[in-house]
Amino acid sequence: MSRRITRATASAALVALTLGACAPSADSPEPGAAPGQGCDGDAVALDVWSWRTEDVKTYDRIFDVFEEANPCITVNFQAHLNTEYDQILRTGLTGSDGPDIAQVRSYGLLQPLVEGGNLEPLDDVVPALGEFDDAALDGARGREDGAVYGVPLATQTIQVWYNTAIFEENGLEEPETWDDFVALNDTLLEADVTPLAVGARDGWFVPTVHDALTAAQYGGADFQQALRDGETDFTDPAYVDSIQTLKDLQQYMPDDVTGVAYTDAQVLFTSGQAAMFAGGSYEQAFFQEANPDLELGVFQVPPPPGSALDHPVTPGYADGNWGLSATTQHRAESETLLTWLATPEFGQLVADELKQFSPIPGVEYADPLQQEMWDLYQENPAPYLLLVDYRYGDPVGTDLMGEAGQKLFLGDTDAAGAADIVQDGLSAWWTPGE
Amino acid sequence: MSRRRTAALPTPVALLFLLPAAALFAVFVLYPMATALTYSLFSWRGTAQEEFVGAANFVALFTTEPYRSQLPRAFGHNALLFAGAMVAQNTVGLLLAYVLHQRARFRRLFQVLFTMPYLVSPLVVGYLWSLLLSPLFGPVNALLRAVGLDAVAQPWLGDPDTALWVVVLVTAWQWVGFPLLVYGAALGALDPSTQEAAMLDGASSAQRFWHVTLPLLTPVIGTVSVLTFIFSMEAFPIPYALGGSSGSPAGATDVMSLLFYRTAFHSGASNAIGVSSAVAIVLFLVIVGVSVAFTRWFRGVERRLT
Repeated sequence: MSRRITRATASAALVALTLGACAPSADSPEPGAAPGQGCDGDAVALDVWSWRTEDVKTYDRIFDVFEEANPCITVNFQAHLNTEYDQILRTGLTGSDGPDIAQVRSYGLLQPLVEGGNLEPLDDVVPALGEFDDAALDGARGREDGAVYGVPLATQTIQVWYNTAIFEENGLEEPETWDDFVALNDTLLEADVTPLAVGARDGWFVPTVHDALTAAQYGGADFQQALRDGETDFTDPAYVDSIQTLKDLQQYMPDDVTGVAYTDAQVLFTSGQAAMFAGGSYEQAFFQEANPDLELGVFQVPPPPGSALDHPVTPGYADGNWGLSATTQHRAESETLLTWLATPEFGQLVADELKQFSPIPGVEYADPLQQEMWDLYQENPAPYLLLVDYRYGDPVGTDLMGEAGQKLFLGDTDAAGAADIVQDGLSAWWTPGE
Repeated sequence: MSRRRTAALPTPVALLFLLPAAALFAVFVLYPMATALTYSLFSWRGTAQEEFVGAANFVALFTTEPYRSQLPRAFGHNALLFAGAMVAQNTVGLLLAYVLHQRARFRRLFQVLFTMPYLVSPLVVGYLWSLLLSPLFGPVNALLRAVGLDAVAQPWLGDPDTALWVVVLVTAWQWVGFPLLVYGAALGALDPSTQEAAMLDGASSAQRFWHVTLPLLTPVIGTVSVLTFIFSMEAFPIPYALGGSSGSPAGATDVMSLLFYRTAFHSGASNAIGVSSAVAIVLFLVIVGVSVAFTRWFRGVERRLT
């Protein structure tokens, strides 16, 4: 009996270990590349990897446009499950049957591939990168050498969504001042409508809500620069004040907000039980699908008196890039495709077909709401601070604010204590000014 | 003895038959194990292996933040998961098995019913319960309020004081069929004459359970306990579904596997592979060490009782 136990012990415990070693990659068979019309020689098939399993058909349509213009190149687009993509990509790029071009993450999560030498710098490969906004390119830069390792794919913006029907019923309008914002929250509360649909059980969502409501109060891009220059840290009074504002607004959120899941908050808003949702531009597709009758509006939260900035801002961040594998066998063809991925033609397809914001200059949006969000971001952009600059080490800034915000909502800490949690956690790998 | 000798194959042939299994074991078990061990002994720059650093990753795990404070916290939560499972899962499983053993009618039906959740993916079970326990739309709190128990209705997963116990109970809800089946089989295999002898001596049913049945079950209790320990240490899908990768709320449901997951795949840290492999090795050593010690100790208990 005892030997059986020991053996069972050993074999089950091994599972823990196999977790540690990366699984071998899935085979990616090279399909025969048939040359398109107008191609004299042999066609080359490029493997392009993505984590957007839901967009495979759309990407196939998009790449048809490219293949028509480049008959000697076929694009073999493959999507892997989002949650497993990073592991699969790491194995693929270090092995022999990886992609030629891959969607890669932005900011901190891009670094393992850059540091491992798995991606090629693109500054000289794709001249059009010079026309991109710096904020978009920041998401594609190597931490150490500052070179650009990806063509930015999409941008997300963070603002407050509102249900226009509920606003009309209660005689409310988009707030111009902080007092307007507080007054409309009070009116909604009296009308028995949850003003702000927030779910703080999912830690990652807390920093999004914090920046949507208070980025202008702590100073947005100015504060980011002050941190980079080493002039301040997260215990800065302006940052503490912004966390206090989040606490003050808790009365307008659902009860027991730390028990409310992010998906609960989405349902609260789409079902018309809550009037506003502080969140990303990426919510639009889900909102409209969940409730096609929902009439949506967006606004930026005006900063409270005494804020670092005198105007509202829209936080945003780069969301994904196209990277070039260092081990590609089809370098010239890959460069042709990457160059196309930086053209306004592709950017417009991202806007029209994928319904995402493209950072490529000159793209326009047919959906008026999308155009409005983009214009607001262009007028007064701010970084989604903890995601943009503070995911280059362990622990990541967004996780820290998630935990700090949950403690704040639970009453286990005050605003200064929450700021300390963020600052102390980050000090494990970050020193202001470095 | 003699029969066994005639059945034995000549050694070379026996080795030949062992070869396929040994090869599979080497490729799918030993190789990944050795890989994880070597990974933990090197420093990494992203995906690139750098130089040999000996135990430096392990030292970092125990001396630098965030691991210094997160490792004991996560380990403590795993220990509570184990303690909770022993009470909520194994004790309840034993009692149910005993009750079902006493009454043959519907035994099969109830065994199947209690074992059903076992067949569902733990991730699905986790998400299901997170929906049931939602403070806004969840039927659990709605039911409590409907019967006037407003004071009992809680933000179950939003309160650090209750969240970990919810993880324990949901895990028990899913796995209670496992001890139920094992104990049920063991009870069925017990010699009924010992029960009859105790009955003739005038032992009450409680006395028969405590002084006859339970001691005879000791070897099985040992096995179930060790396996429960291993499952508790490796808990991942249910904590992940209920509290996300950071163990919400405020780290109250953080466990070792989540710490490993965050360290390996969630941070932009340069040496993520080195440190996360060290986490995996530490977890492995704890599981093996405690399981072997536990088994030895239980063998002693067994000997004294039987």
